[in-house]
Amino acid sequence: MSVSPCSAQSLLAHEGKPLNSVMASDRRGERLGKILRKDQLKPLFQALQRKGSLYAPVKTDMVRFQEITTPEDVDAIDFSGHAFFPPKKYLLPNEEELFAIREGELRETVAELDQQFIVNVRMCDLNAVGILDNLYLDPEYPDPYYRAKRDATTFIGLNCVHELDEYCFCGSMDLQREYDLLLHDLGEAYYVDVRSDKGMALVEGLPDAEDDFTPPLPRTSKVLDPKGLWPFYADKWWAGDNELCVGCQRCTTLCPTCFCFDVKDDLDLDDLSSGKRLRVIDSCHSPDFTRVAGGHDFRASRLQRYRHRVMHKLQYYKDEFKRSMCTGCGRCIRYCHSKIDFVKTINEEFVHE
Amino acid sequence: MNNYLKHTPVKILSKTWESPDTVTFKVDWQVQHDPGQFVNISIPGKGESPISFCSWNPDYCEFNVRVVGNVTEAISELEPGGTMHVRGPYGRGYPMRCFKGNHLLFIGGGCGVAPLKGIIEYVQHHREDFEGADLYFGYRSRDDILFKHLLDAWKSEFFLHVTIDRDAGEFQYSCPTGFVTEAIKHAQIDPNGKIVFLCGPPVMMDKTIPLLLEKGFHEDQLWVSAERHMKCCTGKCGHCMINGKYACKDGPVFRYDEIKGVTE
Ligand SMILES: Cc1cc2nc3c(=O)[nH]c(=O)nc-3n(C[C@H](O)[C@H](O)[C@H](O)COP(=O)(O)OP(=O)(O)OC[C@H]3O[C@@H](n4cnc5c(N)ncnc54)[C@H](O)[C@@H]3O)c2cc1C
Ligand code: SF4
Ligand code: SF4
Ligand code: FES
Repeated sequence: MSVSPCSAQSLLAHEGKPLNSVMASDRRGERLGKILRKDQLKPLFQALQRKGSLYAPVKTDMVRFQEITTPEDVDAIDFSGHAFFPPKKYLLPNEEELFAIREGELRETVAELDQQFIVNVRMCDLNAVGILDNLYLDPEYPDPYYRAKRDATTFIGLNCVHELDEYCFCGSMDLQREYDLLLHDLGEAYYVDVRSDKGMALVEGLPDAEDDFTPPLPRTSKVLDPKGLWPFYADKWWAGDNELCVGCQRCTTLCPTCFCFDVKDDLDLDDLSSGKRLRVIDSCHSPDFTRVAGGHDFRASRLQRYRHRVMHKLQYYKDEFKRSMCTGCGRCIRYCHSKIDFVKTINEEFVHE
Repeated sequence: MNNYLKHTPVKILSKTWESPDTVTFKVDWQVQHDPGQFVNISIPGKGESPISFCSWNPDYCEFNVRVVGNVTEAISELEPGGTMHVRGPYGRGYPMRCFKGNHLLFIGGGCGVAPLKGIIEYVQHHREDFEGADLYFGYRSRDDILFKHLLDAWKSEFFLHVTIDRDAGEFQYSCPTGFVTEAIKHAQIDPNGKIVFLCGPPVMMDKTIPLLLEKGFHEDQLWVSAERHMKCCTGKCGHCMINGKYACKDGPVFRYDEIKGVTE
């Protein structure tokens, strides 16, 4: 593949021009490639900082997504690690105000959002966005809080040329190309795979890639056997992992597609007629998650809760949306308190008798 | 964009204590709904609770609330003339049009009688569509009996049988002391042309369904209501999931064969 030259000037030529409609039509299926020289990447990120907020992974004790506020800090952006916490937090914060409570009444709090650009997002976490969209943007009850953030957000992915570590198994999941832009490392330059008008607006000035090329999906040595889990629903299949699970909820907290929430009213202690109604990320591993009045708890045992999480990820969601809810990011295994590996269990122990 | 989490203020017309811990509100709200659907009632500062429609009337709505905690207690403190904040209707109710020409059997326990009252009122509004109805309602004690003022009317129009778990004493509608399941066990019921609506605590449902199947009912004649912890009521918060189904949007009403044997 050949790389054509392009000046930083033409790259930035579109600054100041309004971004394409945030409801940009999707160009899924349509292939558009641009070429970005490596020395143009920093100016691109800096241009994004001028258009809105820039968020990127940075390695400190571990890799974390954070805001990159100054032009110099762009140098700190990480290109090699797997973020501890997924960028889901920019669409579904751990805690989010739904309404303000004033004089005992609910007031809608519609926040005007600036554009946010989230860069160097891995394929697993890019796929998580489409999975969340299915729920939060369902046609009957679209969620306006999520919609606002989603519309204000541009995702620029970084393709994994090598697996990041031995926990990644996205290579065995049905990944889709859902992003605005994806950077694919060609050595001296990046191939920029453009999938939305929002993405195109940022790279219009770059030269088109000459060759017909699609960045390959990541490959991983760890693979999940795609067998359906319904035949393995009975308790005995889950008993082994369940004995190890301590119910700490790290897995659900770190998963890029876990979406469950609780609604809590938080009152101002000095003035009990005001405060806020919050949406707080919740976990199906939490013991009270399914308790109802009268005390009955529908998933009272930890085994039921563990099974529910894995069944939801790999079976229930697929039954509903025809795609797996797990993107193979590996976090729930990488960071499990008890080193439980559901992929290993399913591959090796869930076998037809 | 319309905010589905936002509540509509409705005026409270009246408030009736049915039992020491259960109160019925009548509100000035004309909203189209099916029996079995529910709303979410909000008390700013306390939270929200899913509550079933317990009436079926084009002119107003009624909600029956049992005080079990923070939110339900705060709801019970609302007064006529004041405002109730509701969002909904949610969920899939009973497909009443499919039951035309059938005889209906209602089996309710405690608070579960409230949503059944909604179906009964639907039947009263569409009397010619249904053969008739038998009502079997069970309560823990005499004090817990709901809708006492309607019992006479129900008894004159339908077959009514009220059971009381203990110390029934003298009560004009009741049978001997015991659970509603006992009454079903001993009742002579011909399953032919009947549709059964069950609503009550999980233990009541678990005990009654085998009895009905023994009597020759088919699974697709039984309709159950699945109460689950609910927050969003719109398929997002994950709390109400029954394996792959959402009680809030696929339910809360299920035909028994749709969820039978689910162990969660
Ligand atoms: C579809 C549906 C219809 C219902 N209809 C009625 C009705 O008509 N009348 C009525 O009195 N009650 C009804 N309930 C139950 C009612 O929603 C709960 O009793 C109420 O939410 C408890 O809230 P609380 O703050 O008062 O209690 P809390 O102090 O919060 O909790 C008391 C108990 O209720 C459980 N609970 C708390 N929040 C919920 C919730 N959102 N959903 C279910 N259980 C919860 C808790 O786990 C706990 O066991 C219905 C529930 C559902 C799901
Ligand atoms: S991280 Fe591991 S131990 Fe903790 S709740 Fe999840 S599966 Fe259980
Ligand atoms: S289930 Fe585990 S591997 Fe799958 S997306 Fe969630 S955290 Fe990643
Ligand atoms: S109540 Fe939130 S998903 Fe059903």
